[in-house]
Amino acid sequence: MSLTPLNIVLFGIVALFGVGFYGLLITRNLIKFVMVLQILIKGVVLALVFAGKLSGNLGLGQSTAATVIVADTIVAVVGLALAVQVRRRFGTLDVPKISTLRG
Amino acid sequence: MALILIALIIGLPWLGALTVLAAGNKNPKWQHGLAVGFSLASGLMALFLIPFTSSRVALDLWLGPSFGSLSFVPDGLAVSLTIIATVIGSLAVIFSVDYMRGEAQLGRYYFLVLFFIGAMAGLVLSGNLLFTFFFWEITALCSYGLISFYNDDPKAVAGGIKALIITQVGGVGLLVGSLLAYANLGSFQISDLLSKANTMPADVLSIIAFCFLIAASAKSAQFPFHTWLPDAMEAPTPISALIHAATMVNAGIYLLARFFPAFESVPGWMEMVMLAGIVSALITAFMALTATDLKRTLAYSTVSQLGYMVYAIGAGGVLASQFHLLSHAVFKALLFLSAGAVIHSVGTRDMTRMGALGRKLPYVRNVFVIGALALIGLPVFNGFWSKELILEVGLEHSPRWAYGLMLLGAALTAFYTFRMTWLVFYGSSRADLHVHPAGLWMKIALGVLAIGTFTTWLLFGGLSGTLAQSLPTHHLEAESTIHMVEMILLAPATWLALSLIAVSLALFWFVGRGFALKESPIWLRELSESSFGFEPVNTFISRGISGLAEQLRFTQNGQMNWNILGIVGALLFVLAVLLWSGV
Amino acid sequence: MDLLSFFGMISLPLISSPFVYLSGRLGAHEAVLHRRSYVVRGFALLAILSAWVPFVRTVTAFMAGETQEFMIETILLQVDGISLLVAGTVLTLGTLVILFSGPYMAGEAGEEKYYAMLLAMIGVMIGLACAGDLFNLWVWFEAMAVSSYLLVAFYREQAASLEAGMKYLIQSAIGSVLVLVGIALVLANAGTLDMAGVRAAVAGSDVNRWVWLGAGALFIVGFGVKVAFVPLHTWLPDAHSQAPSGISAMLSGVVIEVGLIAMLRALSVLTGLGESWGVLFLTFGALNIVYGNLLALRQTHVKRMLAFSSLSHVGYMLMGLGIALTSNVELGAQGAFFHLFTHMLMKGLAFLAVGALLYALFLQNDSHAPLAISDLAGAAKKYPLVAFGLSAALLGLGGLPPLAGFMSKWQIFVAGFESQSGWIMALMVFMAFNSVLSLAYYAPLVNLMYRGSPSQAVTAGKPVSAAISLPILLMTLAVILLGFFPQVMNWITRPAAQSLLAFFGN
Repeated sequence: MSLTPLNIVLFGIVALFGVGFYGLLITRNLIKFVMVLQILIKGVVLALVFAGKLSGNLGLGQSTAATVIVADTIVAVVGLALAVQVRRRFGTLDVPKISTLRG
Repeated sequence: MALILIALIIGLPWLGALTVLAAGNKNPKWQHGLAVGFSLASGLMALFLIPFTSSRVALDLWLGPSFGSLSFVPDGLAVSLTIIATVIGSLAVIFSVDYMRGEAQLGRYYFLVLFFIGAMAGLVLSGNLLFTFFFWEITALCSYGLISFYNDDPKAVAGGIKALIITQVGGVGLLVGSLLAYANLGSFQISDLLSKANTMPADVLSIIAFCFLIAASAKSAQFPFHTWLPDAMEAPTPISALIHAATMVNAGIYLLARFFPAFESVPGWMEMVMLAGIVSALITAFMALTATDLKRTLAYSTVSQLGYMVYAIGAGGVLASQFHLLSHAVFKALLFLSAGAVIHSVGTRDMTRMGALGRKLPYVRNVFVIGALALIGLPVFNGFWSKELILEVGLEHSPRWAYGLMLLGAALTAFYTFRMTWLVFYGSSRADLHVHPAGLWMKIALGVLAIGTFTTWLLFGGLSGTLAQSLPTHHLEAESTIHMVEMILLAPATWLALSLIAVSLALFWFVGRGFALKESPIWLRELSESSFGFEPVNTFISRGISGLAEQLRFTQNGQMNWNILGIVGALLFVLAVLLWSGV
Repeated sequence: MDLLSFFGMISLPLISSPFVYLSGRLGAHEAVLHRRSYVVRGFALLAILSAWVPFVRTVTAFMAGETQEFMIETILLQVDGISLLVAGTVLTLGTLVILFSGPYMAGEAGEEKYYAMLLAMIGVMIGLACAGDLFNLWVWFEAMAVSSYLLVAFYREQAASLEAGMKYLIQSAIGSVLVLVGIALVLANAGTLDMAGVRAAVAGSDVNRWVWLGAGALFIVGFGVKVAFVPLHTWLPDAHSQAPSGISAMLSGVVIEVGLIAMLRALSVLTGLGESWGVLFLTFGALNIVYGNLLALRQTHVKRMLAFSSLSHVGYMLMGLGIALTSNVELGAQGAFFHLFTHMLMKGLAFLAVGALLYALFLQNDSHAPLAISDLAGAAKKYPLVAFGLSAALLGLGGLPPLAGFMSKWQIFVAGFESQSGWIMALMVFMAFNSVLSLAYYAPLVNLMYRGSPSQAVTAGKPVSAAISLPILLMTLAVILLGFFPQVMNWITRPAAQSLLAFFGN
């Protein structure tokens, strides 16, 4: 695989996804969950622009990417707001410690 | 006209169910009155339906492609069972006026009883497989609610859920059979299944036939589903009489009789039916020998008598089975209701604590003895004629060993019936029980049934005539009562059976009176308590499933990383399935 | 063309949402707090009731055969059978839940946010069902998700509620990321995201079909998180049991089903692959049914048990859809959509009735304890209507006649046997046995409520008000009547099934 710009972007997407899922599988801290989620989403944004470029419909790719950024910022905000409440209520952000619902 | 009557037969009890609920538990008098009124009205309508008996469809209302059309057919089979359901139903309700006096939650009780009566009539009148199944399931639901009526008692709760699950497992058989028939015939009409059965592929037809046999066995508590009925005896006694002796358990017999013409050519089907009947009749007769609970003894005998009917169908005697069904419904309802009067009077079901009650409850003793003699099968009572007719059919159309086993069953029946009567009403008083006299309403219901036990065999000619005329696919021959009487009295088989019964009675009298109380062999008692090894199977299955459920709870451990692993795993799983199926 | 009605059906709840919020915030004065609550509730009810007018007009226009679609820039919205089914289902439950929530949520901090979010969620779900563009579909889906996160974690003081909201948020967000990757795959290979355009592109393209299968897999898993396919379901029991009861009803009754509709819409653009999705639906259907049943069997808390039973009911719908897609039996989809509707009624009723009991037994006594199954003992004497409603809902969910659930399951069974395929018939038998198994946890609960001796909680319980009883009464009647007259839903389930099969191009 040659190092064309497209391949670099592709590599970037794969790397962001890899980091994202790895983080989700091992992290314990609630803030970090929100952070790795954002890493995943950045990968998606990149993928959308990339898809637009590949298909020759760059405008569509860019506009969807922009919308995703906005929408997922809202998700991140809600997530962080929850994290604040969790910290207040439990005094910790360690997810395994606050997981009591099971079975 | 027939349509209006059918609508009233089903609709009146259901309307009654709602009005009883609306009357509220604060007005028990109203509730009793309404329940009696509506059930009697329905019984009356059922009697009016007799002249309209025919194989013609009374209603044909198209509902849509997946539901077929709502239709009712008032043929002989349906009408006779409708009358049993509504008339015995109203007698059970009349009996309940005394039996349930002062109980809490009468509204729920009468709601379920009346709902059941309507559904039972609907089940037999329906001409559409969907609605047969529909009413079939409603009867199971009502039966569940009534078995668990005293639901502060864990035994009642356990008995109810057991009955519900086992009959529902059987219901799956009816569901699958009906839908297979639909898939191959494109119609839910029962008449289509009966007339076009032979156009179906042979293997499909035989699957349908055995599915229906499973459904019928589960509903009629036949082997290997015989375990639920004894536990259903936690229900109030009028319910045991109505649902678990006279009507709902007959639904299985009805199903076999109804579809007999479609399945009789299926290889092995008749033999399986016969075998189920023989095994049920015998093992429960053995179980009744050692039981000490009055209602359980009666429940065992119900399974055993239903076994006779199933055996008769297996031997090709649809008419004989229906005749015995009618007799049994009457005398077993009588036995259960008089047992109920005893239980209500003394407050226990344990026969070892009863004894010599005949002197204190003469009326109840008299009617109980009438019922018992019919169950044993002694002449003049209805049970005699119908049982002998079944044995007659068995002698002609089944292997000798099968006939021999059924004769043995008749002897066992005589033995346990005599033992039961003896323990309750005769001998010496074993515990100082306080006895209340039976109420007037109870006596009325018992009296009517006792008269029925003497006389219903006279209806044989009418029954066989209507069945023969309104069931064209069954190819039955009409016979007159006189002819039947003549045939039975002249047959050597009858005298053979009667002498066996006499031997059995003598055996009880001279050898078994002590044995009756406690000295039954330990192995027999243990075998009976485990329902011949099927009780452990039930327990194993239910424990296994709930154990598995408990074990599976670890998969929901509440850890976020684990949950996310589930998402990743699912993605891989989906890709794997696509790879496997897509190439 | 009656575009105004169509537009109004989607936008009325959405537009009224901020107004409801403002009406609660303005005059947020301690002295008028009580009166303010009535204003908010009244306004919310008015908003949802007014949305019925354009809905009915849209239905009439649809029945008359008019095509109804409009475009704002590149955003295409259109009406078909599925949209109407979803809109009707959502509006029905939404109206009843808003009515129910009046007393239930009265006096809670942030009551106005609750109604604003609920209305927004209702509008968004209707919009989702009308989306004609893949990316647009995702935006509606994400908006629905965000509003439901906030509603799940509504009780900010409750630790368990926060935990449930957190799990729900993170897992849902991962799902929506996967959907986006699928969309990117489609965009890269088809060059457009308009559903009709993609369909044409997929049909005419010479791209390796594994690309489309991969995109479909991402859609299934991505939306599957929301629909609670096992093993993507892990958030559901927590979220559904911790949310306020009205929201539990919405989540179980419509939100997961709308997720299913979104999945169907997204998959439908990948033409010619219906059979693969059908196989997957049957697989997940079987898994969901058995897993949901087994886990519900041993639960001790009522709402959690109901949440697990939702898993198995999603499974029944998946079975119907799977039959439709693999064997091209229209009845399968019709049964699935009918079950979608009856499940909304029954599960909505179950959660509202349980909510009414929770409200009467605990919330009014200032306790946030979960409602244990044993707390229900003897509830029937004090709360006859609620107990009767809950019994009807539970027995209907267990598939007993004469209740709605019997008929919708029956329709799925009929479709399964109509397919004439041995595998599917075997699955139907499996499904029937599972339906019997489910009675093992529904029926004892009913029995418990009719006990003579009440539990401590029932003895200390407060009465329930008329606004709570009314929706329960209406839904109970509907559950019973649909059991007797199942054909009345044909007018909507059949067009929906036809639309579905038309999309999958079978």
